[in-house]
Amino acid sequence: MTEMNLSPGEIEDFAVREHRSLWLDAWRRLKANRTAIIGLIVVLIFLLSATIAHFFWEYEPKIDLDYSAKLLPPNLRVSEQSLKIHPFGTDKLGRDIFRRTVHGGWNSLRVGLVAVSISLVVGGILGLLAGFFESIEMYFWESMALMAFLGLALGALPAWIANQIFQVFLFCALGIISVIVDKKNLSKHIRRYLFAGLGLLAGGLSGLLVAPLVGLVCGILGLGIGLLLAIPVGGKIFSNIVMRIMDIILAFPSYLLAIAIVAFLGPGLEKGMLAIGFVGIPIYARLARSAVLSVSQKEYVLASQAVGESHGRMLFRHIVPNILSPIIVQATMGLANAILSAAALGFLGLGAIPPEPEWGSMLGDSYKYLSSGAWWAVLFPGLAIMLSVLGFNLLGDGLRDALDPKLRI
Amino acid sequence: MGRYIIRRLLSVIPTLIGVTLIIFLFQRIIPGDPAVAMLGERATEENVARIREQFGLDRPAFLDRDALAEGDLGGFFDSQYIRYFNRLIRLDLGESIHSRIPISESLKERFPATIELSLLSMFIALLIGIPVGIASASRRNSALDGITMVGSLVGVSMPIFWLGIMEIMLFAVLLKWLPAGARLSTGIEIKTITGLLLFDSLITGNFPGFVDALQHITLPAVALATIPTAIITRMTRSSMLDVLQEDYIRTATAKGLSERIVLFRHALKNAFLPVITVIGIQAGILLAGAVLTETIFSWPGIGKWVYDAILGRDYPIVQSVTLLIALIFLMVNLLVDLSYAFLDPRISYD
Repeated sequence: MTEMNLSPGEIEDFAVREHRSLWLDAWRRLKANRTAIIGLIVVLIFLLSATIAHFFWEYEPKIDLDYSAKLLPPNLRVSEQSLKIHPFGTDKLGRDIFRRTVHGGWNSLRVGLVAVSISLVVGGILGLLAGFFESIEMYFWESMALMAFLGLALGALPAWIANQIFQVFLFCALGIISVIVDKKNLSKHIRRYLFAGLGLLAGGLSGLLVAPLVGLVCGILGLGIGLLLAIPVGGKIFSNIVMRIMDIILAFPSYLLAIAIVAFLGPGLEKGMLAIGFVGIPIYARLARSAVLSVSQKEYVLASQAVGESHGRMLFRHIVPNILSPIIVQATMGLANAILSAAALGFLGLGAIPPEPEWGSMLGDSYKYLSSGAWWAVLFPGLAIMLSVLGFNLLGDGLRDALDPKLRI
Repeated sequence: MGRYIIRRLLSVIPTLIGVTLIIFLFQRIIPGDPAVAMLGERATEENVARIREQFGLDRPAFLDRDALAEGDLGGFFDSQYIRYFNRLIRLDLGESIHSRIPISESLKERFPATIELSLLSMFIALLIGIPVGIASASRRNSALDGITMVGSLVGVSMPIFWLGIMEIMLFAVLLKWLPAGARLSTGIEIKTITGLLLFDSLITGNFPGFVDALQHITLPAVALATIPTAIITRMTRSSMLDVLQEDYIRTATAKGLSERIVLFRHALKNAFLPVITVIGIQAGILLAGAVLTETIFSWPGIGKWVYDAILGRDYPIVQSVTLLIALIFLMVNLLVDLSYAFLDPRISYD
């Protein structure tokens, strides 16, 4: 018999593989990807420099003005022409462009981050719920809550017309009744007649208290709402309603819609964040919904359903962790887009209110005196936009490969 | 398939109504008094009254419940939105606040300029994007592929307004190779037939006019084409890579067909569907990108018009152009969806 000489270390290597989590695996793959690491480094440089500058490098845009030093080309040494070092040159008000670019990063990146957070949270939750209830049947109380909400929403119209708040609660009750009655078997026709009649009474009678014509209009509306509420809607219809609304927002090219919204709201960083966040909602809603739809057919979700786990637990223990990777990738790429849109807004004069520094508005200012040949005033802010956007795009690309090796082609 | 087409056509209607609703809501989010916002503090009484009339600002937004309570059913529906919607159905876009020129008239004048710019940009994007995408997919992981991937990422990350400025700086200001701004040099005239100068000058045999128009359109078209080129390249590449892994490609290669025939006859045909979708989406992005590109190059299309309107708070113009672009975007996407029904026999509808 041959003797096997194995050192303890080798045995360990064979027997127990080192435990690696999915995220650690992804990190290893990301580290091996050179372009992704370059992206990560670029992103970190921009984030760090902007944050550090904001907190530790004082800058008062309102008093930053020096006509003696206007439109100086970049210089790295003190000379007779310029008494201070301006690595990126100065603009037409004699402001140091390097300083403004670094400080502008705080505003530009912040718009991107806040906007993506808005669209991610709102769109993600909408898509999650839509996808979940489209594929998994609702509990009794869940469909009751949905119908009560539908009653509230639909009842708001006749209630507003008649100026009677209590009507809303009548229709809300109608929605709840519709779910409760569902348990007893009534034929569809009888249900429809019953609920249409109830709706007609709820809207019409209370409307009559105000004026005959109001009674008529509210009665007709009530009849329609009653018909809609007669059959409790399932998750599929909820999902359809949400996705229809998303389709309407998607009918606009996204950053044109953002520009239009801010054009009407008036310029300002906060308004830009809101507008860019709003137009991004449908992307995340669609993505989250389709991811949930594919995940909820997996065995582990069926198993947890069979065991009788609560919907909240299913959602947060089994579904959310498994749809995170496409959403993280989209959010990283979305950041790149949001920064681009924010810069476009700033360029059109709809971003930060001057003299506040922001990359897009710096470009928009300096392109007006392009003919003076001051290339440095447009080169550096634009380069900052491009590099930060490129950084997020490279990182997002790498993350996609790292988080989902199956997608790799 | 007929039923699918009808269903898809009908599904546009609620979206269209939603789009008009969103565009109407724009005028509701103006902070303060819209008439004052549009005309400024020192507006004359007469002008304010005119704006109030045009927008129906003295009417409620959607429905008038007070009129209903008084028994006036007609007054109930006489609201800002319903007036707006009625005018839209009659194709009446209103008039500019400041110049008082009807918007549809200016639109007729300006729209061809934007269409010409967008079409040429799309042409450039397709001309570069598809061949480069095919080449880099067929030589995967080669140097060409690497350059394509990095280049297309840079293209996607490019702020096109910055690219436009740098183009002007380099080619117009420093090198003086190409003109920047306007569609034609002064003194050159082209007889208007379609409004697309390149096309018109060719048809009328106006060769100097054609060259001049081409010189003027080159810089803005290249700037506008950047992002679509990058996206179409990436999409063509990844779609080709997908298809090249299919069994029928292996069969075709095993049969002894030349690489070119496999690539173009077997792979490209099947890889084209996702590319068409992307082209449809890019059409909308091109029109929206025109706002920035036209602003920089003083291109007299609808984009520059919107920019001026935003500065002048001429809101009806912003509303109309947004609506127009959304409509075109919807139509192009509809066509893309319908073309699927014809192009892909694997998908069954109904």
